[in-house]
Amino acid sequence: MRKLIVTMILLAACANAEELPIGATAPKFSLVNAVDGKTVSFTPGKVSVVVFTCNQCPYAKAFEPRLIEIAKQYQPKGVVFYAIDPNDEAQYAVESLAEMKARAVEKGYPFPYLKDGDSAIAHAYGARVTPHVYVFDGTGTLRYRGYVDDSAKAAERRTAGLSNALDELLGGKTVSNQVTRAFGCTIKWKS
Amino acid sequence: MRRAILPLLLIAHVASAATLRDVKDPKKIAEVFPKNAKLRVVNIWATWCVPCVAEMPELRAVDAAFGPEVAMVGVSADDSVPDADRAKVAAFLDKQKIAYTNVYYRGTIDDLMNFYRLEGTIPITLVFDRNGKELWRHDGPVRSAEAIKEIKKLLGRMQ
Repeated sequence: MRKLIVTMILLAACANAEELPIGATAPKFSLVNAVDGKTVSFTPGKVSVVVFTCNQCPYAKAFEPRLIEIAKQYQPKGVVFYAIDPNDEAQYAVESLAEMKARAVEKGYPFPYLKDGDSAIAHAYGARVTPHVYVFDGTGTLRYRGYVDDSAKAAERRTAGLSNALDELLGGKTVSNQVTRAFGCTIKWKS
Repeated sequence: MRRAILPLLLIAHVASAATLRDVKDPKKIAEVFPKNAKLRVVNIWATWCVPCVAEMPELRAVDAAFGPEVAMVGVSADDSVPDADRAKVAAFLDKQKIAYTNVYYRGTIDDLMNFYRLEGTIPITLVFDRNGKELWRHDGPVRSAEAIKEIKKLLGRMQ
């Protein structure tokens, strides 16, 4: 019996390699917002964007202004944004709540910046990198996952993954490009 | 005068770094390899990638373990973020005493991912034969002992 339990735990640990499939229900979370210390919970009901990002990754930094711009553009249309930092602050002090707060305040994040302290939510989503984006419809069903867009350099951008998905969802259409390959820094998992 | 000499010394120092060749089209990376190599090892990395930086001594050991039958090429993805610094990549390779050729990749990251069928994370190490057939790949940092064992096995099969 003990062997079976150990095997089940190991299988659960390995399961994070699989990204959340399109059509899956959003894994719920209640996480602390680094900005004000309050707990924020995922609440279905509106189109929602969950983005795994962090303080240290040049890719996350490169996409940060665009993410802020997209949030400001789509929040008035009723879209809810959650930014989650899944990196282990024990290994990387720059990912601490205090550092997260400093960055969010300095950059003027228009969304909560949540700490996934044990990386459990990133595991539940099957996130691999920062930044890694997930878009859910009003029922909490996954409709898009992948990159913000296909280049960290604005001049080289050819496909706008996140904003295309939001436009289609808000327009009552099926998202045409449901899965893209997010590129970025590997998540610094809590060990 | 001393002020004038210092930049010259710095330039000479950077110029002695591992060869760093600019490539925009992923298909052209194969052309960087010497033609006589039986196996071609590609390592995709960036100076901003923490596990890639930690992996460098392991790659240096893999390179040192083989003669001309195995050739390695590093592909730096540094340029895929704004404000990338080519000189920083050259200086890093120099500091790490990397002797094999590196490519400063100037194309889009999507093209690179499509070409090598990457999942979106680096480092990744791939081994090809001289015809471009993929024989082995390792996601994440390699350990030199494991990579050397695999490459020796692949060489053995080619005898």
